[in-house]
Amino acid sequence: MASAGSGDEKAAAAAMITLISSDNEKFEVTEATATLSQTIRHMIEDGCTDGGVPLPNVTSKILARVIEYCKKHATAAAGEEGSSSSFSDAAFLEVDRAFLEELEEFDDAFLEVDRATLFDLILAANYLDIKGLLNLTCQKVADSVKGKTPEQIREMYNIVNDLTPEEEAEIRRETQWAFE
Amino acid sequence: MARRGRPSSPAPTPPPDNDDILSEILLRLAPAPSSLPRASLVCKRWRRLVTDPAFLRRFRARHRRGAPLLGFFTDGKRVRGVLFTPTLEPPDRLPRGCFSFQPADEWRILSCRHGLVLLIHSEQLQVLVWDPVTGDQHRIAVPPGLLTREGMMVIDGAVLRATGDVHGGTDTQSSTFRVVLLCSELEFSRAFACVYSSENGVWSDPLSISYPPMFVTNIPSALVGSSLYWYLIGDSAAILEFDLDRQRLALIEMPYGYEMPFNFCLIPADGGMLGFLCVSNHDVYLWKRTTDGGGAAVWVLERTIELNNLLPLSSHEALKIHGFAEDGKVLLIGTTDCIFTIQLESMKFARFNIHLASLNSRICHPFSSVYTSGMGLGDEQENELLLDTSH
Repeated sequence: MASAGSGDEKAAAAAMITLISSDNEKFEVTEATATLSQTIRHMIEDGCTDGGVPLPNVTSKILARVIEYCKKHATAAAGEEGSSSSFSDAAFLEVDRAFLEELEEFDDAFLEVDRATLFDLILAANYLDIKGLLNLTCQKVADSVKGKTPEQIREMYNIVNDLTPEEEAEIRRETQWAFE
Repeated sequence: MARRGRPSSPAPTPPPDNDDILSEILLRLAPAPSSLPRASLVCKRWRRLVTDPAFLRRFRARHRRGAPLLGFFTDGKRVRGVLFTPTLEPPDRLPRGCFSFQPADEWRILSCRHGLVLLIHSEQLQVLVWDPVTGDQHRIAVPPGLLTREGMMVIDGAVLRATGDVHGGTDTQSSTFRVVLLCSELEFSRAFACVYSSENGVWSDPLSISYPPMFVTNIPSALVGSSLYWYLIGDSAAILEFDLDRQRLALIEMPYGYEMPFNFCLIPADGGMLGFLCVSNHDVYLWKRTTDGGGAAVWVLERTIELNNLLPLSSHEALKIHGFAEDGKVLLIGTTDCIFTIQLESMKFARFNIHLASLNSRICHPFSSVYTSGMGLGDEQENELLLDTSH
């Protein structure tokens, strides 16, 4: 798979993009890495990336993490394209499976961050339109409230209960079974 | 300040103050029935988001693939009509009467799949596709040319969504479905099949196949890939295959030594193959249709499940297969006073008391769906109800 992708990697290496964080830090990335972001992909297509891409909504701390994610997943995407032509080859399937497992491990480790960072990553994924990262991070938050009561969810996320007692009573009456 | 696990700081970070992002998070809540009611009780904002009809449509479409087994439907006996029995554990156990179908008297269940129920009217002139969660009902006239032959009757039917709608994992709502009707002449030696597509609202021309006299049992059909299978019994037994893609009917023989099992159900086995389960004493045998070295189709006994080691059974208790949930691979099997649900991969099981005498037949139609009822009520209506109770 590495030999199949090496030509593309050379071509991509030629096209580097500079991303500029809100605190003015510059990050050099390959086009293949940058275009996991639909927002940046459109900018490249429109030819507005000369002199760097300013990302005023993303701090250098978060941008570094986002780039880490994109690098890993851009390699994965290149691997998938390279192996699709020899899909019937059992050895390639084995490599793919191992790679997917590695990617899953990477994602799990990637999500080991504090809650503030997780929310910042969600905001960045949303702003940069990186579907895989948005899915990954939102799923992490959704999983965290699994099996929790409304009171526990409020406590976990510092949410103020602004429902009136009448509204609360009504929801409980409508779906009483869900609170047993 | 990267911390692992749950932070213990007094003011945890609230989720982003952006409805779109919060919706994306809430869309990914588990499709368990209690998820959305609980989320709606967190605060006004969460409540507004999870009761939005567009959100609920996306939630249902997104989780259709992993929809939980909510329970099963049966045709009632003493209580005429369609009965729902919930099988999830609290807090996800739905109230018994939560899916009511009116008017139920003249209708009988033919099939239950992909969150839809197919019923047929006693006069056999129409079928009905019912989505118990949304309440949507589509009445479809049986193709007029089909029943004009003498002695022709609808003997079974199946409902299914297009593969893309079930497994596509898209957020877009698609309510397209197909209905397959199986008809037979009085001598039961020929079957006719035709397909209705909700996309164009048209029935296909019927296909037919002839065979030695056999009748189609009331054991529900199985969907494997793009083929439906029914169990036929006469002097011998066979499986009728309807390949929806190739528009072809064929007959499959039973394995040697299992010529006519009665305690039986057809299932999609691993690897996209047809399979069946049958019970002898307290053992369940899983047979699978596969191909031998020469490419010929053969039956192999794939697995024997000894339920004595799993379920609390006394030696004299007879076990009967009641149904099989294709999506979650859950077997419904019971004694005279209870039903067990067994997930065939994890072998996790649950027990439910049920009086089989109250059912019209032992056939249960497992119902898997994303339950969102009671979430989409308009505020005005709710306020009126509130005012009524406060007086």
